[in-house]
Amino acid sequence: MPTKLINPMNEAPLRVSLPPARLRSLQGKTVGLLDISKTGGNLFLDRLEQLLRERFHVANVVRTAKPTFAKPAPPGIIEQLRTVDAVVEALAD
Amino acid sequence: MRYPSTVLDIGQTAPAIPGLDLGSDAALIVFFETDCPTCRLAVPYLNKLARGARVIGISQDDQAATNQFTQQLATAFPVQRDSGLALSRRFDLTFVPSLFLIDHNGRVLRSHFGFDKAVLNEIATQMRCPPVAEDFDGAPQSKPGCMSRHLEPKVEEEFGPAPPVSFSRGVPASVIEVPDGEDLFEYCFQTFGDALPVIPPTPERIARMLSGAAVNPNEVIARVPPCYGEATVEKIAANAVMAGCLPNMMRVLLPLVRAVCDERLNIHGVQATTHFAAPLVIINGPIRNELGFAYRQNAFSNVARANSTLGRALQLILLNIGGARPDAIDMSTLGNPGKFCYCIAEHEEANPWEPFHVERGFQRQQSALTLFAAEAPHGVSEHTARAPEQVLKSISYALATVWTYRACLGSEAVVVLSPEHARTIDRAGWTKLRAREFLFENTGVPVRAYDNAPDAEGSQLVSKYKEILIDGERCYQKFRTPDSIRIVVAGGTAGKFSAVIGSWAAGPRGSEMVTYPI
Repeated sequence: MPTKLINPMNEAPLRVSLPPARLRSLQGKTVGLLDISKTGGNLFLDRLEQLLRERFHVANVVRTAKPTFAKPAPPGIIEQLRTVDAVVEALAD
Repeated sequence: MRYPSTVLDIGQTAPAIPGLDLGSDAALIVFFETDCPTCRLAVPYLNKLARGARVIGISQDDQAATNQFTQQLATAFPVQRDSGLALSRRFDLTFVPSLFLIDHNGRVLRSHFGFDKAVLNEIATQMRCPPVAEDFDGAPQSKPGCMSRHLEPKVEEEFGPAPPVSFSRGVPASVIEVPDGEDLFEYCFQTFGDALPVIPPTPERIARMLSGAAVNPNEVIARVPPCYGEATVEKIAANAVMAGCLPNMMRVLLPLVRAVCDERLNIHGVQATTHFAAPLVIINGPIRNELGFAYRQNAFSNVARANSTLGRALQLILLNIGGARPDAIDMSTLGNPGKFCYCIAEHEEANPWEPFHVERGFQRQQSALTLFAAEAPHGVSEHTARAPEQVLKSISYALATVWTYRACLGSEAVVVLSPEHARTIDRAGWTKLRAREFLFENTGVPVRAYDNAPDAEGSQLVSKYKEILIDGERCYQKFRTPDSIRIVVAGGTAGKFSAVIGSWAAGPRGSEMVTYPI
């Protein structure tokens, strides 16, 4: 006879989101740059913004930053990035 | 159209409270719900106020829930039930906790909804009492409350009976069938384990474990980050079985799961960081001896079933329900042996000062648990110093290295004093506060350590640091306040070894220590 066990794991269904379709070109697009507020993130994103504008001719760059790297982004930040075509997040120091 | 005010105005006469003789003094009437976290947060402060002033609690819940609330929180003021929520309607409150300060004529001097340290201190002043709330005691400055029970949608009749205490109902756990011939222990080890064997969570064992908690098995105690799995009482019991807990450990596990999911602790960040942090559990009060927690020799190690199984159950809950598995979401660079188990109890009998949970606002006879996002302990040996200053100096040198030597102001620390060190300090007439202040004033990083190191971690922030003199040398002060250093007494009575435990990113932008009643 099989042994019965009570499942100790989380059983709530996980919501799976698929990544959006890859952009064919960055030209004319709006790109969000999210700084999670770790040391050096701004240096990296400053340079990236320059490259995006000069080399990839993006139309607009939206810069935003989390108040602290230690917590999830507050809803306002997510809302700010909802309208852009792509986001680059500077994750680590 | 002007809506009627929902608050009793200052100067209005408050409705009479049955059986209450106002006498000649002012009284603070406090309406609360037993399952409101803000009401629970307020009780230790009201207990302090009740030492010198008249506080009267009015519970919006039934007798059983009210009794449990008053016992758990050791309320030091009389509490009566608001039968049928009649008083709540007459006082016209919207939220709990609701505070009404009334004078001897029954007139309202002031009213307040929610928890606010500044308001509590102002009320204490009005009642001619010393302040009851300190700025940096681990609790937030203010916190909004819950909607008053009588305004909840489910109260249908105007003067109907008080509703039962509500809870969020989760889904019963599924049953897994392990086929005959399969090694049960190996199956559990591979499916639910933390790289160590676990006891199979059979329905019979879980039924025994649930006998230790007078709560509906489907009640959701918390949603555990980072995947926000529902920690039902049943799921908590299943993980407690696997960790080897005895049923009476459910008394600690339920408040522990609530505490670990307290947003101030920020377990979401603690579980996802590349840092070393793991939640350290510190147990205080009578429950230590009732359930056999070890606090003498080997306080951090493998000496007692209570410490080891409680610490492990918490970790299994974080893994199996919270989803921070060490091979996936938890990306800690080096980890921490505390991720198997990290649970100590205070050696209150060898602590010459007030126990840690009393410092955190609870009564001595109230059991409590504290959680701290902690690095592994760093030992400090000091066997020859005979004066408090010398012992504490040795500890301050270890404190200066917390997080990394040159980084100041961003972290906190717990100092676990051995009984012998505590005795040396106490024998000279020093209080715990004086010891903490001495550590604060004497822990710093010499300014010369920043020479020729502009890129080193901590160097970029020197403009924010405070320069002080330590033994004549210019130093940057390591910690933000004396409250950044907490002292707990634990360990055997032989051996002059103490320990320093560093934090993860500390404060509202990272993790804050939390203490919950058991």
